[in-house]
Parts: sequence; structure tokens; C-alpha cells
Amino acid sequence: MDGLAAAASTAPRAATRPLASRLLSFASKGTRGQIVALAIVMLIFAIGTAGTSVSLKNLQTILSLAGIPMIICLAIHQVVVIGAMDLSTEGVISLAAVTSGFLIKNPFTAYDIGFWVIPVAILIGGSAGLVNGLINTKIRMPSFIATLGMWWVTQGLAVIIGKGNAVKMLDQRFQNIANGDVMGIPVTILIALGVFAILFVVQRRTRFGRYLYAIGGDETLARQAGIKVDRVKVIVFTITGCIYALASILLVARLASSNPRTGKDLMFPAMTAVAVGGVSLSGGVGGALNAVFGALIVTALNNGMVLMKVSPYLQNAVNGIVLIAAVAVTIDRKKIGIIK
Amino acid sequence: MKKTLVLVLAVLLALSVTTAFAQKASGVFMGTAIRSLENPYHAVWARGAQSFADSVGGIAVIQTCEGSSEKQLNDIKALIAKAGKNAVFSIDPNESPNVIPIAKALEAAGVYFVTYWNKPDTVKVTDYPHWVAHISFSGTLAGEFMGNELFKSMGGKGKIVALQGMLANTTAIERYTGLQAALKKAPGITLAAVDTAEWDRTKAFEKMKSFLVANPDVGGVWAANDNMALGALEAIRAAGLAGKVKVVGCDGVDEMIAAVKAGEAAATVINPAFWQGGMGLSLALAAKDGKINVKTLPVEKRAFFAKAVEVTSANIDSIIATYVKGTPKYDWNDYYGSYVAPIK
Repeated sequence: MDGLAAAASTAPRAATRPLASRLLSFASKGTRGQIVALAIVMLIFAIGTAGTSVSLKNLQTILSLAGIPMIICLAIHQVVVIGAMDLSTEGVISLAAVTSGFLIKNPFTAYDIGFWVIPVAILIGGSAGLVNGLINTKIRMPSFIATLGMWWVTQGLAVIIGKGNAVKMLDQRFQNIANGDVMGIPVTILIALGVFAILFVVQRRTRFGRYLYAIGGDETLARQAGIKVDRVKVIVFTITGCIYALASILLVARLASSNPRTGKDLMFPAMTAVAVGGVSLSGGVGGALNAVFGALIVTALNNGMVLMKVSPYLQNAVNGIVLIAAVAVTIDRKKIGIIK
Repeated sequence: MKKTLVLVLAVLLALSVTTAFAQKASGVFMGTAIRSLENPYHAVWARGAQSFADSVGGIAVIQTCEGSSEKQLNDIKALIAKAGKNAVFSIDPNESPNVIPIAKALEAAGVYFVTYWNKPDTVKVTDYPHWVAHISFSGTLAGEFMGNELFKSMGGKGKIVALQGMLANTTAIERYTGLQAALKKAPGITLAAVDTAEWDRTKAFEKMKSFLVANPDVGGVWAANDNMALGALEAIRAAGLAGKVKVVGCDGVDEMIAAVKAGEAAATVINPAFWQGGMGLSLALAAKDGKINVKTLPVEKRAFFAKAVEVTSANIDSIIATYVKGTPKYDWNDYYGSYVAPIK
């Protein structure tokens, strides 16, 4: 569990080991359990579907389905790492979706700003995240409440702006990108991996990344160590908001349609994936790689259940069991004095 | 001191806004209690309600409960408290059991009302003299019609997959029952897989992607609503099978009608939301004004299925002219013109 201690004990030996082995151990740091879990899930479904689930076509399908959840998961996990919570996911995504829908070529408005919609949406998502962070740090309100409020505010704005219309996207380029692939690899997963790469490097290679874990590990200590905790938190919430917007555009692009329900039912699956990936909901443990594996496991699980024709009544129950099991394994009980 | 001042100012502002709103009031309050304005169906419903209210000089009050039965009941009670008997209601109950407290509250206040869709079978409209009618659309007939049209488009043979709505939801169950009835009469069709996409477009897209892997030879998709049909259709388009693998849905969403026109969807069913919005209020107002005498109405006119609009490639052009390009014209005084069958 204790990543730092483990890293410290393996560090001296690492220098004498071959490069491939060192790379492998670097990549799997803190995600061994998830890799095993993913392998088990794939194995069970491979047997259950007589191989269909591990066919090339289905692996492509899993990757294309995992892209957007992975991006949302990557967005949420950083807030979780600093020991906070972000419930505004669905509202922010819906708001960015509806606004984008009206700005890309559509039957309702005269706007057609093409790919300029990407910075505009990111601005909207980032602003919502910025406000989340400011409410959390300046008004000193628990992130749970601040972001819950933001969820309703942004969802409400999305309804006011969208008026319940499903807005068809007439600019075909977006859909071609979102549903397209590069040499068989779906574009959405490539974008997700791009987001992952940036966050991964920031977390493991920069001072800012270390601050995240210091704050998530023990905020009081971090403050005493002179870290500008509030500023780091505001930045994290803002980046999270920006990534939501990216997911939002892909969601709209994939179906070539936006409406105020675009973000609906996305937060809890993403939160499940974050927990399943091994990011501790008590903060300070787990990183971008965990989010990636979490999203892959949950997607593979849901895809496999459809292929195996598991009763839809049972599918949610299975997800729930996996969530409880994952949290049971990853939660740091020492940090929570009283379990409420 | 400063805080108190701010508080007093805030309360004063709130009061002035409320009174400014209240002063506009004259005529009958026409309450429409629906789920939300987020979905096009209820948005059109609200337009129908507004249109009727405007036509008779009433005051349309649209109340959205956002999925909360509690809020729906409280909103209705609030309007009764304000308007007294000078009100009528048209209600889409959030959940079946919620009908009971709503009906009791309106009955106690002597306010006439009409409900749609959700009602427990054991609750009898005839036990409440102010409950003018409970109106629904037969999900079974719709589901069967959709199935039949899908099978017809496949030449009566092949594999289909089905996407159910929210499990345990009455409408979802009825429509699926309809599909099963259609399947019984079509020996050449096999149901290869069933799952739920919870009425949701994104979920349908994702389920369909997995379906296509497991059933590459699928010939058609039966989806319990248009949203799911459209989500499935996007997955079919992405696989380059649009037009070959047809979808059917229900609700008559604009994009689905376009898909029927383009030959990518075989059928949909329009539940005329505009008509529901207007007719619910019209019936309640007619009872309030004594134009219909609720006490002497036959039982089957108190709880009935109304006519839905069936859309196929055969009538698509006239449907587009009436429902997409134009607003359908209804005679709000033709109270039972859309009557189909009693709800037993």
C-alpha cells in the first residue's frame, strides 16, 4: 500500500536490474493488483464467451468504449488524490455539451465555429472547476458540498440554455474523429492516453505532482511544510473542469448530438472506476495509471457482461460488488478515525 | 448589523418579486406538473399546455419535479394554496404511488384534474369526483407495432437484438410485452440478445457496440424508445451498416423521424405530447366550467388509452409536414376524439 516506502526499498536494487525489468516495475508501481484484476476479468469472459471477448474486434470495441470514461476518470482522480471530492462532473459535462452543441454547426443557431469550440468548452469547464476550487478554499466549504452545488447550478444552466432540445451536430468532422481510429486504435482512447501521459508526467516528475500527494496524505503537514495548499487545490479543480469539457466534446461528437442529459449517469461509474483502479478515496494514494486501469477494468466488465448475456438485473449488482470490494482493499483506515 | 440589513433586503427583494408575479394573475390557474424540461417530450408537453392556456385566457403554471415525487406534491399543494378552487391541473405523476396523495390533495381542495401515464391499478379514478380522467397510451400496442414493422423491414426472417427501457418501469415492461407478442407471430425471427440501456442514448450506443461484436449477423434492433434507437443507430452507422440493420423506437423524436425518412429506421410511435399538454387542461377546465359532468360520465371515459401516431416509411412525409415542420392543430373541445380503449 505504502508506495513511497516500497519505492525507497526497491530503488537501490533497481540500478543493477536490466532496463526492461526496471521499466516494467516503474509502470506497474501501485497497479499490480489492477493488472491482475483486469487479467482475471478478461480471462473469465474469454472462457464465458468462448473467445469472442478477446477477439481483435472486441478488444477494439473495449478500447473505444473505455476512452471517454477513462478521460472522466482521469479528471476525477486528481481531486480524489488531494483528498477532496468532485460531484459536479455531470452538470459541467452537460453544460459544456449544450453550449458546444449550439456553437458547432446545428439546426438551431447560426453559429459554426468549427474546432474553436474546443477552447470555448474547455474555458467553460475550467471556469466551473475554478469556482469549485475557490468555494472550497476561500469560503472554506467542504468540496463535497461546493461541487454538489456546482452540479445543480451547471445542470440548471444546461437546461435553461438547451431548453430540452436534442441538438443535432451538422459538422461531420467531429463525429468522424470521435468514432475514427488510427491503425485500428480508436481515437478516443488515444486522446485519453494523451491526457494520461500529461498527468502521469506531472504527478511523477514535477514538484506540483509531489504537492498533490503531500496534500492528499496530510494537509496540515503540507501547509506546515510551506506548500500553498489553496493554490494547488484551485489549480487541480480547474484542470479537472477542463478535462470534463474535453470528455463532453467527445460525447457530443460521438453521437453527433447534444442535450442537457449528455452528462447524466457518468459520475458514479467514473467514481467506481477511480476506486477500482486503486485510487484511495481517503486521498494521497494512487495516480493517473490507476485511473487508466480502473476505467479499463470497469469497461471490460460491462462489455463482457453484455457479451455473456448476463441478466441486466444482475449487471448493476455486479458493479456494486466490485466497487465495495475495491474500496475495501484500497481505503486507508488509519487515516479515518471514525467510520461514519 | 450589516448582516441583518442584508438579510432584510434579501427578504424584501424576494417578496417584491413574488408580489410582482402574483399581480399578473387573473383567470384560471392551469397547473401542469411534469418531470422536467430537459427532455424534448416534456418540453413539447409544456408548449401544448401553454398554447391551450393562451387560447382560453388562463394562466399556465408549469411545475417540474426533476424526478422528486415529494417536490411534485409540494408544488401542487403550493398552487392550490395560492389559487384555491380557481385552478385546474394536468399531471404526469412522477411515480405511480404518488398519484394517491396528489389525488387526495386535489380532491380535498375541490380542484378538477387529469392524470397521465402512471397510476396504480388498484386506484380507481371513479372514487374521486374531481378526477376527470386518467389517460395513457398503450405500451403493449406500441411495442407490438414496432416489432411488426421491424420484422416486415427484414423480410420476416433474421436475428434481432432488443434494448429495454429502465427495468421495472411500467412503460418499459409494456412495450417489451408488445415485442414478445409480435415475436410469437413471427416464426422466422429470433431474439439474439436483450439488455437495458435505461432509456439513454449513450448507454444504447455502448451496448450496441458490444452487441455487434457478439452478433455480427444481426438484422434489426428493437429499442423501447427513440433515444436508445438513435444511440444504437450511431453504433450501426459507425460500423458502416446503416440502412442494412434497421432500428425501431418509440416517442417520435425529430431525429428518429429523420432516420425513418432516410431509411435507417423502420418505425417509431409518437405519443402526442402537445395534445397531452393541452387536452389534460382542457378536460379539467371543461369539468370545472360544467361542460362535462364527471358524475354521469361512463366509466370507460374516466380511464382510457388515447390514440398514438404510428410512423412508418409509408406515411413519413405527411408526418413530417404535420408534426415536425408544423404544429399539429387540435380541437381542444373534442374531448374524447382520441379515445381508443378503456384501461382495465
